Amino acid sequence: MTHTLHRRGKTEDLQEDFVLLIRISRGINQEGSEEKMQQIWEVISHYEKDLVNFGNHNPNWGDGELYDMEALKKASSRIIHVVFKDRDKLKACLKEIKERDFGISVVVSGLYEETKKICSEIGLAPHTVNNSLGIHGNVDRLPGEDVLEIHTMCGHAMVSSNLIQHMVNKIDEGGITCKGAAKKLTRMCDCGIFNTYRAEKLLSRMTSNKPS
Amino acid sequence: MLIDKETCIGCEDCHPYCTVGAISSVEWESGNVSEIDQAECVECGACFKRSGVCPVDAIYMPKLEWPRSLREPFSNPDVKHPSTTGQGRGTEEMKTNEVTGRYTYGMAGVAIEMGRPGVGTSFHDIQTVCMGLAKLGVEFEPNNPLMELMVDKTTGKINPEVLNEKVLSAIIEFKISSDRLKEALIAVREVSTQIDTVFSLDLISRVDSDGTMPNLAIAEEAGFTPRPNTKTNVGLGRPLFKEA
Repeated sequence: MTHTLHRRGKTEDLQEDFVLLIRISRGINQEGSEEKMQQIWEVISHYEKDLVNFGNHNPNWGDGELYDMEALKKASSRIIHVVFKDRDKLKACLKEIKERDFGISVVVSGLYEETKKICSEIGLAPHTVNNSLGIHGNVDRLPGEDVLEIHTMCGHAMVSSNLIQHMVNKIDEGGITCKGAAKKLTRMCDCGIFNTYRAEKLLSRMTSNKPS
Repeated sequence: MLIDKETCIGCEDCHPYCTVGAISSVEWESGNVSEIDQAECVECGACFKRSGVCPVDAIYMPKLEWPRSLREPFSNPDVKHPSTTGQGRGTEEMKTNEVTGRYTYGMAGVAIEMGRPGVGTSFHDIQTVCMGLAKLGVEFEPNNPLMELMVDKTTGKINPEVLNEKVLSAIIEFKISSDRLKEALIAVREVSTQIDTVFSLDLISRVDSDGTMPNLAIAEEAGFTPRPNTKTNVGLGRPLFKEA
């Protein structure tokens, strides 16, 4: 899965969009990992008020509400996803995970310059990097860049371009707020990687009816 | 996915939820109702349980027969691939690389995320790209779920039974030595003009001890501009893979 790599947007927008992805390696450090993953959720819960979204790839059908952190601390998680809008909060969380030395792989998705700085500040070094080299092929089939910025926040493409445009129209008609629309959109993303905070801001830019 | 025309009330609420725009209104005995274009539907389930949008439960999933049954695991992230033990269109790729050692110094990993973002892809287009790459003798990732559909690894040919199937995404993964990366990326660019869909392109590099990634300069020489956001494995997994 490379579902957090191709988030579109200007650098200043991406300053508010970081995803921590934590996962076991099948057949290598899987044994005994259930308890470790629960302990990682415990660490993450220290930052619950700072999280934009989170999940462990289970259906996120709770009407756009965040997962139940208490349930996740007891769940069997193979993967953990956590979205931060504040790089310093992400740094603090990553530092705590590093110090606990769980031995589980951690990936940071976001601006590389910021990621490098964060690593340097807490005594880590990037090990392997996946770079996005953009979108190619018949790009005439893509929606506009503003829609694409929201769409690519669910890398599995579950938040359809038509649904985003539908929400823009509903906001313009006064049928829903930007915040409400962002919650409707995130409901389609089961992984918990959709940045609702950023989506609300982007929807506000795309619409004439601004109240959130 | 199908819509029961007898039950559908024609509200059209489901239309925007379709990931590939395959739902439209048609005339029916009781007035307009919604219908899913079966050629375009990728069986992702967005209109069904995921959204729960239908007020009268008219949308349903029929039993899918081969080769149509391929569509669901390649399109719905909640459905496991029969060939793997987990969800996902690809593998662990670089997310656990400090443990697996999948990508080492002097190598490049390339992933071609066919159909992403949000367009979908046919296996015809997937075959076109695979065949373009196979000519170079690239090492396709054996654990990727696409591999069980590739009937000839030396030519990149896909099982002809599935070529007309459409899925939301499928990831072609391969490794190549860095000294052949430019050649491979040029081949990727050439083949990109021969398909009717889009793909997102990934380049995976082990970070050198001085913090550099020589593969990036090679990508730029090949005419690609890396975006500022990346996925970065910060090396916390254990046991650490020991590189030679």
